[in-house]
Amino acid sequence: MNIQDFMALEADSSHDELIDLRSLDFVSSYDSHLMCPICHCPLIEPARLQCDHVFCQKCLRSAITTFRSADTDEFPCPSCRTPTSQISTSVPRLLINMCEEIQVRCPFATEGCQEVVPRGHIQSHVDKYCGYRLIPCPDEDCEKMSRKKDLQVEQRCMHSYCRCSRCEEDIMEQDYEVSNAPALFNLETILINCVSQEHDKELCPSLETTCVDCGTTIPQRNLKKHIETCPEVVSPCMASKYGCTAKIRRAEIATHEQSCPLVSIGPYFEAQNTRLNSLELKMRHLQQRNEIFEDGLSNIRSTLLESARATGGNRGGRSATENDRSQHGRVDDDESANSSNVFSSNATTYLLSLHESLREEVSQMSHALTDLDARASMTIMNECLRIKEDMAHTNAAVNSVRMQVQWLMNPRLHNGARAGGMRTNASTAGNDTTRSQLTSTSAPGPSNAAGPSLGPIRPRRPSDSGREGTKL
Amino acid sequence: MGSQKRIAKELSELTASPPDGITVTLLDEANLYEWKVLMEGPEGSPYQGGIFQIRLVLPTEYPFKPPTVSFATKIYHPNVTNDDKGSMCLGMLRPDEWKPSSKIGAVLEFARQLLAEPMPDDAIEGRIAEQYKNDNKRYDEIAREWTRKHANKT
Repeated sequence: MNIQDFMALEADSSHDELIDLRSLDFVSSYDSHLMCPICHCPLIEPARLQCDHVFCQKCLRSAITTFRSADTDEFPCPSCRTPTSQISTSVPRLLINMCEEIQVRCPFATEGCQEVVPRGHIQSHVDKYCGYRLIPCPDEDCEKMSRKKDLQVEQRCMHSYCRCSRCEEDIMEQDYEVSNAPALFNLETILINCVSQEHDKELCPSLETTCVDCGTTIPQRNLKKHIETCPEVVSPCMASKYGCTAKIRRAEIATHEQSCPLVSIGPYFEAQNTRLNSLELKMRHLQQRNEIFEDGLSNIRSTLLESARATGGNRGGRSATENDRSQHGRVDDDESANSSNVFSSNATTYLLSLHESLREEVSQMSHALTDLDARASMTIMNECLRIKEDMAHTNAAVNSVRMQVQWLMNPRLHNGARAGGMRTNASTAGNDTTRSQLTSTSAPGPSNAAGPSLGPIRPRRPSDSGREGTKL
Repeated sequence: MGSQKRIAKELSELTASPPDGITVTLLDEANLYEWKVLMEGPEGSPYQGGIFQIRLVLPTEYPFKPPTVSFATKIYHPNVTNDDKGSMCLGMLRPDEWKPSSKIGAVLEFARQLLAEPMPDDAIEGRIAEQYKNDNKRYDEIAREWTRKHANKT
């Protein structure tokens, strides 16, 4: 068969109702040699080329349309690219059989069909037997699809909504399972007589059920409410959580609870429980706080350790410059002894010893301070004494100078006073002269008592010899 | 429509049992025609240790037209263009050599084989091919360097 004939076959084989064999779900595994190299499905209506390569007819046709150059009657084989012009649709029966017997699932598996049939039979299964095949609604105005089995009894549209007699909800007619009632029955009868398939069995809340405990019949939607109040329901004692094992019917539980000792002690338990809970809570809180503190403490400890090491080194260097070498030498010895203990004893004793040594050091420092204080005051005192002595010497020298000056000045003063005296008081002049002569002879004496006695003419203050000397 | 079924089939096969050193994902879940392939550099080659991202684009006429393979990761290789596209020159991907029976898995394995053994006689980057033939040591160094720089596992 040449290419044109082969391509012409396509029109004949095209068929509306055919199911797509390539999209089928293959249940059994199959040999990869049965696969068409183009579509990778088990060969469908195979065709053979001159080079002995086999393809699905449909795949081969699309390959030819793609590869054939317009002017030639040849195309390359999709597998080996051999130029080909002849196609044979007769392939070994064996190959076809092997492909046809691969098990596939019915394409309407999503609608509920569980059939698994050989691929060769799937077309007839769908055409004749599959009740789940979707077919267009017989009503021409309705555009929905119906399952085939829903339509077997009455060839009419099942998509109208009707009202459930029990729950007053709108349900599509096809969701009711159609009974075997003759088609002549009116819709109302069908609705009442029918045993519902999905809606009625599970979904309709108006359906009646029986309470297993008291045997009364109630609507399904009230069942939950009923179970809560049903007097026949067996329920545990109120104090069951405290250990009462009694399980009795609700009607008699009141009498039991009056006599049950666990019920009467219940409130006490309750109070204890709440207390326990609060205590537990508090404890957890405290535990957390404790952890936080412990963390902080260990932090402080580690920093202390570091700083102790650092200052220990510093102190050794510093002590060389200080006066009290021997004292500090001892302190350093203590420190080193302490630091050797650090690693052997635990941290607390280390801290204590550190504290102790620091205290010792502080007391030593205070001793040294008082010592220094005493020294300083001593030197100050010494200095003061010396200065005092010097001052006394200077005073003495100044005095002697003053006396000499006075002695030198006395005659002149004496003369001046005598002249004044002659002018003011001539009568006492003789007395004054003798007296001044007397004082001049006694002038080198330490007493200045003679000064004031000289009379109002000398404006000197008594007992201030130094001042007197400087004024002069 | 036929192409989509075959592509989906090949994709599920490649994800179910991936070939050595090759991981296949879709670039965009809604688009069957663009694949993202992660390829580990083959052992013993200068590309060892690197992970190369490859973009594989399938034409709508697949399997009648060949897919195109391009390196999104820069690679120093005689058969891969040294530009932004990183197109790979695979003999089997040329339109006149492509066969509809070739599978994508085979294409990817062939590409990985090409990393292990470049084909300087079929080169697209003449300079690198020259170097590969005459100064193999230097080529090795540069390829290793590029692999470390661009195809690092990050």
